[in-house]
Amino acid sequence: MWGRCFSILAWFGIGTLGASPRLITAQCQQCHGVQTQMAGVRLTSSEEVLRNRERILAALTYTGKIKMPPSGALTAAEVKLVRDWIDAGAPWTPTAGPTATWWAFRKPERPALPPSTSGTRNEVDRFLAATLAAKQLTPATEADRATLIRRATYVLHGLPPAFEQVREFEADPHPDAYERLVDRLLESPRFGEKWGKHWLDLVRYGDTSGFEQDPYLLYAWRYRDYVIDSFNRDKPYDRFVKEQIAGDEIYPDDPESRQGAGYFTVGTNRDMLFKVEDVNRVEQLTDFVDTTASVFLGLTAGCARCHDHKFDPVPQRDYYRLQAIFAPAVKSRVFRHYDMARVYDLAENTRTFRLYEIGAQLMALMDPYRKAIRDERLRELGPAAVEAFATPDDKKTPEQKALFEMYAKKVEPSDEQIYARMSKDELERLHKVERRLVSTFKTYAPGPFSPGVNDAGREAPRTFLPGPGGQPGEEVRPGFPGALGGGEIPDPPLHAETTFRRKALAEWIASPAHPLTARVMVNRIWQFVFGRGIVSTPSDFGTRAAAPTHPELLEWLAMEFTARNWSVKEMVRLMMRSAAFRQSAKASRRAVESDPENQWLSHFTRRRLEAEEIRDAALKSAGVLSAKMGGRPVVPPLETEELYGMSQPLGNAWIVTEDPQEHVRRSIYMISRRNFRMPLLEAFDRPEGVLSCSRRDSSTTAPQSLSLLNGRFTMEQARRIASAAKGSTDPVAEVWKRVLARDPRESEAATAREFLSKQERTLGSAEPALAELARALLNINEFLYVD
Amino acid sequence: MLTKGAMEMEQTISRRSAILRAGKGFGSMALASMLEGAESRGRAKSVIYIFNHGGVSHVDTLDPKPVLARLSGETVPSSFAQGLKTSRIDFHKALMRGSPWKFSRLGRSGLEISELLPHVSRHADDLAVIRSCHGDAFDHAPAIFLRTTGSQFPGRPSLGSWLVYGLGSGNRNLPSFVVMSDGAMKSGAGAYGAGYLPAVHQGTVFRQGPSPVLNLSTPAGVSRDAQRSTLDLIGDLNRRHFASREEDSTLEARIQSYELAWRMQAEAPDAVDLSNETEATRKLYGIGEPVTDNFGRKCLLARRLVERGVRFVELFFGTNLGDDWDDAHNDLLGSHIKMTKKSDQPIGALLTDLKARGLLDSTLVVWDSEFGRTPLAEGKNGRDHHPYGFSMWMAGAGVRGGRALGATDEFGLRAVDQPKTIFDVHATMLRMLGIDHTKLTYRYQSRDQRLTDVHGQGEFTDWLVRG
Repeated sequence: MWGRCFSILAWFGIGTLGASPRLITAQCQQCHGVQTQMAGVRLTSSEEVLRNRERILAALTYTGKIKMPPSGALTAAEVKLVRDWIDAGAPWTPTAGPTATWWAFRKPERPALPPSTSGTRNEVDRFLAATLAAKQLTPATEADRATLIRRATYVLHGLPPAFEQVREFEADPHPDAYERLVDRLLESPRFGEKWGKHWLDLVRYGDTSGFEQDPYLLYAWRYRDYVIDSFNRDKPYDRFVKEQIAGDEIYPDDPESRQGAGYFTVGTNRDMLFKVEDVNRVEQLTDFVDTTASVFLGLTAGCARCHDHKFDPVPQRDYYRLQAIFAPAVKSRVFRHYDMARVYDLAENTRTFRLYEIGAQLMALMDPYRKAIRDERLRELGPAAVEAFATPDDKKTPEQKALFEMYAKKVEPSDEQIYARMSKDELERLHKVERRLVSTFKTYAPGPFSPGVNDAGREAPRTFLPGPGGQPGEEVRPGFPGALGGGEIPDPPLHAETTFRRKALAEWIASPAHPLTARVMVNRIWQFVFGRGIVSTPSDFGTRAAAPTHPELLEWLAMEFTARNWSVKEMVRLMMRSAAFRQSAKASRRAVESDPENQWLSHFTRRRLEAEEIRDAALKSAGVLSAKMGGRPVVPPLETEELYGMSQPLGNAWIVTEDPQEHVRRSIYMISRRNFRMPLLEAFDRPEGVLSCSRRDSSTTAPQSLSLLNGRFTMEQARRIASAAKGSTDPVAEVWKRVLARDPRESEAATAREFLSKQERTLGSAEPALAELARALLNINEFLYVD
Repeated sequence: MLTKGAMEMEQTISRRSAILRAGKGFGSMALASMLEGAESRGRAKSVIYIFNHGGVSHVDTLDPKPVLARLSGETVPSSFAQGLKTSRIDFHKALMRGSPWKFSRLGRSGLEISELLPHVSRHADDLAVIRSCHGDAFDHAPAIFLRTTGSQFPGRPSLGSWLVYGLGSGNRNLPSFVVMSDGAMKSGAGAYGAGYLPAVHQGTVFRQGPSPVLNLSTPAGVSRDAQRSTLDLIGDLNRRHFASREEDSTLEARIQSYELAWRMQAEAPDAVDLSNETEATRKLYGIGEPVTDNFGRKCLLARRLVERGVRFVELFFGTNLGDDWDDAHNDLLGSHIKMTKKSDQPIGALLTDLKARGLLDSTLVVWDSEFGRTPLAEGKNGRDHHPYGFSMWMAGAGVRGGRALGATDEFGLRAVDQPKTIFDVHATMLRMLGIDHTKLTYRYQSRDQRLTDVHGQGEFTDWLVRG
């Protein structure tokens, strides 16, 4: 193999170093590739070639124990060429243009730590202090403890702290009270619910698939639970990446890990539209490429689908190389427990057959009466109607058609009307069949499956560049973008059951040496903690991205992230322990003028609660928020007015969950239909859930205020608060504690008492007045913003 | 007293943060100022966009095809059928079916329109018909997305959102982009969503009745006085909170948004209160008549909203869970009679009324459809979906009417003369409002995204206004 490799290299004229990696890929990787690594040597990237420099050269010069290629030694000139290529950095693909030197595509390097100065608490602060000094900005003082615990609890849990927790934290005499608070919050399962939601935004999660029918993605929630669990267990991010992109190929025997590949199944699709399978397939692949590139790599690949873009790091050929990776993937079920899955399938199979029989029995009992009543009613309508109904559809005259349309529903009897005609004996028989029908479903529940993907087999459908006139152009092989070192994915071993293409991609992305993976994720973590990324375009690290505000800090964090075993919680802890995170949200005059967006972090950035946080915090204030985790999506009751515009009948599209205990669960467990967002959440910028969302809007609109002010949800929570507070010795203070987790100031209490007596006069009694007080507090900025 | 309208403030803030988020800096400030001039350059100040949900048959309304009638019952030559597909029929096997309705030459111009649209026909001299629309989506949801957002896949900003993003608000107490529908749309809300544009630009749904916007009325059991007291308390507590945070304009905007909400509670019911319209006007729109009442109210409401400065009023006519043009699958006659009886008089009235009030000069009225219907029969009585050639019309805002642009082939199958994509239509509508479609951009995924993507070269404003 090696011999062939280099002789072809020689045949190409050698001068082009760029030919080397392509030929190594094509020829040498069968033994030293992604799937097979003979002698533990893998040559799929510059990095791996460089790491193995000495072994490669020793083998090529036939000087060591191992002699390569096995077919015979190379000439001295050929060896020199390879040595030169390696010494030039083993450039995997000759790159040129703006992407070659782009900072984000170079391997991160650990920068020198800036000196520690007064006011810095950890390394994060040392980096920030340097830029603050340069901008002549002074960091804000530390926020008070009540502010800190509220801020930390929102960042980590998406919830406000309880009054008692604030009190306790304020009184905690330990010097490390704050650090222990952060540790405690990180250990709570509420963490996964908040951070899982960040991830679900990115992977465009939904419980239905969109378009006209908006059908249920029946098991999508298993992926949602997998994400929450992964964050709670602090699954190393590299592992999290691998499970989602190729859980089936890398961990075939571990159902927990395989659930990650549900990532591919929880987006929009239009599989139910027929005669457009070709378009559907292209769109599916486009979704896979675009979402994967933007979520894991912070790259916007979309433009390259149609053309090479001069600023784009992903030219068209690379786009289709990526697409080829996903071409063999098909949706499948992950059996979480094989035995249970088998039992479930067997039971389901039998049940279906039994239902055919039950259906037939019911129809046999009811149909004669149905027909009799229909005929009677038709006769009452006159001979024209009888004739119109008797005429086959395609023979009906327009008049008959109209008669039919007009009366078709009217002549149809209801079940009750049929029952009324049946004899006691017949009714008893009917009820017996009905009881059998019900018993068939007594233990009905979702099966032990999770959505996933796997490759259809070892052979993949071929992938072509778009050619002229919509015809397929040149065939492309699966591989990685040239600007990131390139590399092709070799064919799988002969007896493989999968192509291992996604495995290759997953391992390439999840490598500590990958220039983007750690940078992109650590920047997201920063954004979720501080409100804005160091790179403010979090899913775009390409050549048109926003420049990082603190490039060295980003490098340092990326290095730390991989060094700390890709632990998300460790990075969050590190960031939250900084003095920067503990600053007050009060902006200095200078900061307001020179840094209105607070990119230099001279104070903490105040933010509005996210949609789900508003709902969850209101439920918590009302004392009813459920701690139950996981399970199938909850459909809460909504007013008919709120459900306006649903594309399918409500009986199918909004099947309300019966148990009221379910209605007060956290928002992440509420159903997310692709065609319909809960109005309160929609008003507060919950994303549409169609495309990956890396940063939410935080708009301020009148419909928002109307929604929170007048909506049934707010009124319901306000009444709950009033009902809980009314028996208290100090109802005003009780409402304050529940909603704002603090005691009212004396002036506030006075205002509130005055308000209550006025409202009591207007509304007639004390409790509705108290509810009005609660409704007001659920609408004020102190409740809606995090300082 | 407010020094500045809260809605303007929101728009400003949201525009600013959008710009900052997109990291565009001065370039987009230039864009913003370019757009500020739009109003003076544009012929239209507002748009009323009537969208026919389910798909109207072009060969039965705006595109006369005598050949079709002559060859009724035969198949089309296979070269014409080649490459066409739709969900239910086979173009090689299905039989041609002439229109059961008569077309006549109307007005001074002699524009041909079918007898299905007698009221709209009276405005023939004001209508510019585009007979060469075409698209590539033959299923409902994709076709609705395509016509309303430029992509047959959901998630992109809708036409109305782009438009108000570009133009801003014309009335700070009402939303700039109002949607009225018959309820269930096969696309869901994506047809009027903001996609990746700031959420403030999404369409606000107006429903029937005195409380058109969701949660506009105070909660049951809370009197207006009680509501005012609660709002006053919110304002009071917010101002105390704000006193130590005065540098944060977002907090101020939210304080004002509650005052705006209060004013909307007053103004929106007034805007939708048709009782102070004259009996003659109500009659003109067919209000009070069972068949026309529903859509008549919507059309009259559209006029009232445009009068009040609303930029984009989108009327979706037809629904998944009730009367729909799509009932033409198995009943062309019944469906098209039913749908035109419900909508023709109200739309005719809208044109008459706008004209009488001098509003037609500044209002672009557009009548569009998901797609056309097959000139070939589906079963005995129906027509299937047909995106390869169909018709729409525009009127008002300086449009020179009584004319038709482009043509389908002799069977009404394909747009062959001056074919127009939805991008061409969108580009034209933007230009009618004074906006260059190539300059209305928003940075998303490192690209300056456009409503018309890289298309829109077939923009036809010059033809519309000059001929």
